[in-house]
Amino acid sequence: MSKAWKVLCLGAITALAALGLVACGDSDSSGGSSSGGGDVNVTMTSFPDYIDPQLSYTLEGWEVLWNTYVPLLTYKHEAGEDGTQVVPGLAEDMPEISADGKTYKLTLRSGMKYSDGTPIKASDFTYAIERLFDVQSGGSVFYEGIVGASDYVAGKADTISGITTDDKTGEITIQLEDANGTFTDLLGLMFAAPVPPSTPKDKNATNDPPPSSGPFEITSVDAPHTLVMERNPQFKTVQDAGANEVADAQVDKITVTQNKSNSAQVTGVEQNNIDFMVDPPDADRLPEVQARFSDRFRLEESINTYYFWMNTQEPPFDDLKVRQAVNYAIDPEALNRVFGGRLAPTQQILPPGMPGYEQYTLYPGPDLDKAKQLLAEADPSDKDITVWTDDEPDRKRIGAYYQDVLNQMGFNASLKIIAGDVYFTTIGNASTPDLDTGFSDWIQDFPHPDDFFRPLLNGENNLPTNSNNFSHVDIPELDKKQDELVQKQITDEGVTDDYAALDKAYMEQAVWAPYGNEQFTTFMSDRLDFGQAYSHLLFSQDYSAFALSN
Amino acid sequence: MPGGEVPLHLDLSGSAVGLEGVEGRSPWYLAYLRLRRNKVALAFGGLFIAIVLFCLAGPLWATHVAGTDPNTNHITDTIEIGGEETDVVAPNGTPLGPGLHAKYLLGADQNGRDVMVRLMYGGRTSIYIGVVAALVTTFFAVLVALLAGFYRGWTDSALSRFMDVIWAFPVLLLGIALGTALAVGGLKLGPIVIAGDSLWIPILIIGFVYVPYMARPLRGEILALREKEFIEAATAQGKGSWRIMFTELMPNITSTIIVFFTLNIANNMLLESALSFLGAGVQPPNASWGTMIADGYQTIYTAPHLTIVPGLMIVLTVLSLNVFGDGLRDALDPRAKIRLES
Repeated sequence: MSKAWKVLCLGAITALAALGLVACGDSDSSGGSSSGGGDVNVTMTSFPDYIDPQLSYTLEGWEVLWNTYVPLLTYKHEAGEDGTQVVPGLAEDMPEISADGKTYKLTLRSGMKYSDGTPIKASDFTYAIERLFDVQSGGSVFYEGIVGASDYVAGKADTISGITTDDKTGEITIQLEDANGTFTDLLGLMFAAPVPPSTPKDKNATNDPPPSSGPFEITSVDAPHTLVMERNPQFKTVQDAGANEVADAQVDKITVTQNKSNSAQVTGVEQNNIDFMVDPPDADRLPEVQARFSDRFRLEESINTYYFWMNTQEPPFDDLKVRQAVNYAIDPEALNRVFGGRLAPTQQILPPGMPGYEQYTLYPGPDLDKAKQLLAEADPSDKDITVWTDDEPDRKRIGAYYQDVLNQMGFNASLKIIAGDVYFTTIGNASTPDLDTGFSDWIQDFPHPDDFFRPLLNGENNLPTNSNNFSHVDIPELDKKQDELVQKQITDEGVTDDYAALDKAYMEQAVWAPYGNEQFTTFMSDRLDFGQAYSHLLFSQDYSAFALSN
Repeated sequence: MPGGEVPLHLDLSGSAVGLEGVEGRSPWYLAYLRLRRNKVALAFGGLFIAIVLFCLAGPLWATHVAGTDPNTNHITDTIEIGGEETDVVAPNGTPLGPGLHAKYLLGADQNGRDVMVRLMYGGRTSIYIGVVAALVTTFFAVLVALLAGFYRGWTDSALSRFMDVIWAFPVLLLGIALGTALAVGGLKLGPIVIAGDSLWIPILIIGFVYVPYMARPLRGEILALREKEFIEAATAQGKGSWRIMFTELMPNITSTIIVFFTLNIANNMLLESALSFLGAGVQPPNASWGTMIADGYQTIYTAPHLTIVPGLMIVLTVLSLNVFGDGLRDALDPRAKIRLES
């Protein structure tokens, strides 16, 4: 071989090697910017109520939105109690709170952009809070204490005077009417997540959700069937601004689909056709799942209360004896069996794990005879009642059970079953006819007992739409007690005892018929890294922890 | 004499003899004779009657054997099986399965309700809806057919176009749309108020959506009969329109109506099951075979009998009605090719 030929061969080999390296380098750089990747599909029995951070108020909605819309503060992406700790989100730091507890000062991180490239501005926070009132969100009740909020709602002011912002410096100052021991928690909810002014201010944005600030953006919605979450291309700007507590996505795309058949979902996960089902496997499949798939199924701690609401403003449930009779008649053990053994019995408002929880029993039972006796004493004029529930399998069975109990007591109860994705908005709409009694549950929004009283039982919160006070409770002296307690810190001496007393005071009025605290579940396909996934105490499954298993 | 044949003997004067012994036989009697010869149709007719009797016996079974009504929950109850106390619904939510015990012969559902009792009561509901809805359909279909076929002209055009509008919608979709809307708010028509969970809601929906399917072929028959000489004769005799319709035309389509009515019951039961399965028919917790399938479908992996048994009952009932209806059609008018248009 001639020298020239050797040189030529050597040059060719060198060039090929160099090309190979370059190719490898390209490959590395394309995949190295974020860990993991891949597509995940999730099913839920009921589609989220809204795909709108200011409006959504269901577990299904929050599970999707937590990793999409980041508030000024947020909650740690951790399992258990650690996850209830409030940490800075889009704000640089935790708020600076004045000595009287009425003024909160925060500074927005600089240089951040929404998923569509629009800069995130401090005034977007004001816009979000105003929007919360304009769309008559069920979450607006938490923010009514901001100075000027009532004037804004009444149309006396164009903006909320108690919020001042500076888009140049990112400074945000919030003035409260009174000190509020929960306000830091409230700033961590998606209700308060900044959205750009391009978001319609007084309309539900479900079909065209605002651009996101979290690790995912919602790229398509076909409510109530499916939605697609994909990586937010601008999330790097949020990370670069120092928002380290906002976890990054580990998969590229999550497709969320409504599937009304719980059993089909279970089979789908078993066969790895579905990666994660939001709802627990139905009672009839639960033993099989626990036995065969213990490596990708577990029960999860959750802080919630399941209860029957009763419209306290209309006959027959405007009579205390009638409501007490219902509490005597309900058998929590029967309902536990409907849940496949995942329901711990209760007869109180606050669940175990919530500050202020102290166990008591006011209506020992089930005692159908006592219930009948009380009903006979009350002798209500109207015994034709409507029992409401949604179309999820376990809830249909709960409704059938409750209707049967009421009929056994002597009522003429009819059952009304409506779709899960519109259930709460329907029963939360004051114009819906025949709202007598029905199913509901409440999962903590933030780790403070006020969350179980203010939105659900405060007389001020009998809203025309999106109300969560389904029992239409209006007891001024207990409202006043709520207002007193919320001004204190939960750690102050005697506050948890006072909340326990408040719980008992409401149950003496039998405003609800509570019956259980549910354990959630995590059931995943083999494709997902089960060890890394976890259920957050406030937002349930953390989609940012989804990663494909190696 | 076999075959009912009567020989004629003519005498020289040409008059018939032996006719005085002939027994008059109405078309209905001839139809009965033809039906009696169709053993398959009779067998399925008998099966339908047996199913109806089975369902009618529901209250007796519930009171004297099962000791429960169809909607009462027994989630935390126990029953004695083989000397052992057994949960109707186990603490993990698993309901009692079928077995040779008088109570819960077909097992329990997840609310601890006796499936056998619900099956019998569900059958009553399904058959009741099927029959009453068929009556509703028949009433309106006959009325429309008579008016359109007799008056023709703009009356026919208006009624036929209205029927076309209903026809344009697929039956199931129209049923779901009406059922979903009415199940929530009920029906309010002036002084008539029907609650959303009333059985009259599915009855009226099913009765309404099938009207064109019966009215159109009946109208065709009326149009043909309208041109016959006996109608001209009746008109010439001065009979009024309504009298002609109800005394001349209607008797001539009665056999067709009977066949349609029978076949319509079967179709109605199928539609009721479909609507109830989809939540737009009978409202829970009321039992119908459709709602039982819907409830059982959720547990089809672990308790398939909750779905299979009501499904089988629907198949047997519809099959028996269809075969019997075909036999009835052959008996009433062997040359006819009538069928429910769909």
